[in-house]
Amino acid sequence: MHKHFQQDQVMMLKEKLKSGELSRRGFLQGLALLGGTSALGLSAGSAYAADKEMVFVNWGGDAIEAMSEAFGKGYAAETGVKVLYDGSGPLEGSIKAQAESGNPTWDLVDCDPFSGQALGKLGLMRPIDWEIVDPGKLRDGFQWDYAANSYFYSYVIAYDKTKYDTPPTSMADFFDAEKFPGKRALYKWGVGMWEAALLADGVAPEDLYPLDMDRAHAKIAGFKEHIGAYWGGGAESQSLLLNGDVSMAIIWNTRAMLLDRDTEGEVAMTWAEGIIAPGSTGVLANNPAGGKAAMEYIAYSQAPEAQAKLFALLGNGPANPAADALIPDEDKFYNPVDPKNFAQQTPLDMAWYEENYGAALDAYLGVISA
Amino acid sequence: MSRLLLLSPLLLFLGLAYLLPLSGVMLQSVTTPEPGLQNYSAALGDPLVWSVIWRTLRVCLCVTVLAVVLAYPLTLLWLKGNTATRVLVELAIMIPFWLSVLSRAFGWLSLLSNRGLINSWLQSLGIIAEPLTMVRNEFGVVIGMMHFLIPFAVFPLASAMRSVDDRVILAARGMGASRMRIFWQIFVPMTKSGIVGAALLVFVFSLGFYIVPTLLGGGRSVMIAELIYLRIFQIPNWGLAAALSALLMVSIGAFLVALIKRAGVSTT
Repeated sequence: MHKHFQQDQVMMLKEKLKSGELSRRGFLQGLALLGGTSALGLSAGSAYAADKEMVFVNWGGDAIEAMSEAFGKGYAAETGVKVLYDGSGPLEGSIKAQAESGNPTWDLVDCDPFSGQALGKLGLMRPIDWEIVDPGKLRDGFQWDYAANSYFYSYVIAYDKTKYDTPPTSMADFFDAEKFPGKRALYKWGVGMWEAALLADGVAPEDLYPLDMDRAHAKIAGFKEHIGAYWGGGAESQSLLLNGDVSMAIIWNTRAMLLDRDTEGEVAMTWAEGIIAPGSTGVLANNPAGGKAAMEYIAYSQAPEAQAKLFALLGNGPANPAADALIPDEDKFYNPVDPKNFAQQTPLDMAWYEENYGAALDAYLGVISA
Repeated sequence: MSRLLLLSPLLLFLGLAYLLPLSGVMLQSVTTPEPGLQNYSAALGDPLVWSVIWRTLRVCLCVTVLAVVLAYPLTLLWLKGNTATRVLVELAIMIPFWLSVLSRAFGWLSLLSNRGLINSWLQSLGIIAEPLTMVRNEFGVVIGMMHFLIPFAVFPLASAMRSVDDRVILAARGMGASRMRIFWQIFVPMTKSGIVGAALLVFVFSLGFYIVPTLLGGGRSVMIAELIYLRIFQIPNWGLAAALSALLMVSIGAFLVALIKRAGVSTT
């Protein structure tokens, strides 16, 4: 799931750059932030003689080189470590292949916390060094042994305002095709959808976990005729709403924000009963650059300014709560972890996902494709 | 002996680049996470796998039949039509053949979606009131895959049609056979090997489709290739992924052998 979210972020940046909304510099900053929330790297012709190298694997694609060119210097000056960005995508299976080879070329990866945890327990990831990474710069309940929280995003309801006189205010509304006629779209990879179905079915947010899968799937199966599509990526979710293929969808807040702005509120969003998802950075066990450099990189990325910048460019919620205040008032509405928004939502339980995601996704695909 | 020597670089390359990794995959299917056949029993005991296999077969058979049936008259036009027709048909076959599968899938999306070209035309002409759902379901998948695979059916058909001896047709005409009779009782049976070849090629190729079902299926048309991808990357279970790949490969192989034997197609 996470890989899709990450890829999506790079696409959004590219779109912004193209539409002139974002300067080249801002674009590169955004990419750098995505690569682990803070940028580093060194151009080949640079004056810094980096004695060490580090590889951060994210979803950046061809602009990665430009990113390290523009942003590496500060961090490299501080640590002497040159960071290379690799956009090949740290899928859980790819991380596993890297780590199990015994001779990985990757150091840092952008992964789901539950993936990091699962891989860590197999001995494939390094435990986060809390001497270097500051747990005080993370929100309570979002600290894991093998994954350092780097940002947040949410699964929220976005809806075509022109079709409804009263806006939906709950997951029960989302799953009510009589009160809110029109097609819906859900996420193809299940995450957040079980929670949405259970909330709609009357389960209280605090009683969600462990998820009652049978109940969630029964709810989704009973609603299937109203579902126009299951989106697999952010751009797809956005176009489903823009093209009128569906009139309501549960999508990432980053895409909902773009829709809201681009359509001047015609496709609106609500934080009501949204599902908060944490993103994180993990370090491969026996990574070539060693644990210390990788942990220092993570620590460097925790700065509130860097976190606020990531939000400004993409709409990702800051992992460091101190960054919330740095966000301009007019943009606070779009911050998924702003205190006002956070209170309306429920975070995903990473421990549950670590244990159950595989089987749950299988069952979900069985339900939606039947 | 010298023939073998000449072939040896190719054999060596195939052995190293293909057979070796493939046997690694086969080995994984019976050794990961522990030795035994549990991956196969898990795969075959999983209702999701069965539903995905069933959908894959259903979609691929539909695609095969449609692609071959549509390719047949197209090939005839290509070979026997007048010059203008031939050029036109050739372009119609070759241009999509060169386009990437992604752009073609997006093309179909913009044609078939609710506010797509076709629905807008039909609605503005007053033929339909509500848009027809033509994409983000199996129908869309079949259309997209069929369009991709028609050229692959055209080429074997063309080669079979070219080898039909014109004198046979002339003789039939001379004996007073009607055009329909010549077509159905002489021409079609004489191109049977081309039909079987085209169907085989299209069917086997279609089984591994990934992008088209993902884009045009609206997320609910999971086919076997996507399931294997899921088992490798999304929720890693390489033993199971290897077992699924092995099952796919062996069943395609068995199917091919059976069909080739039955149809009596020469394998050269």
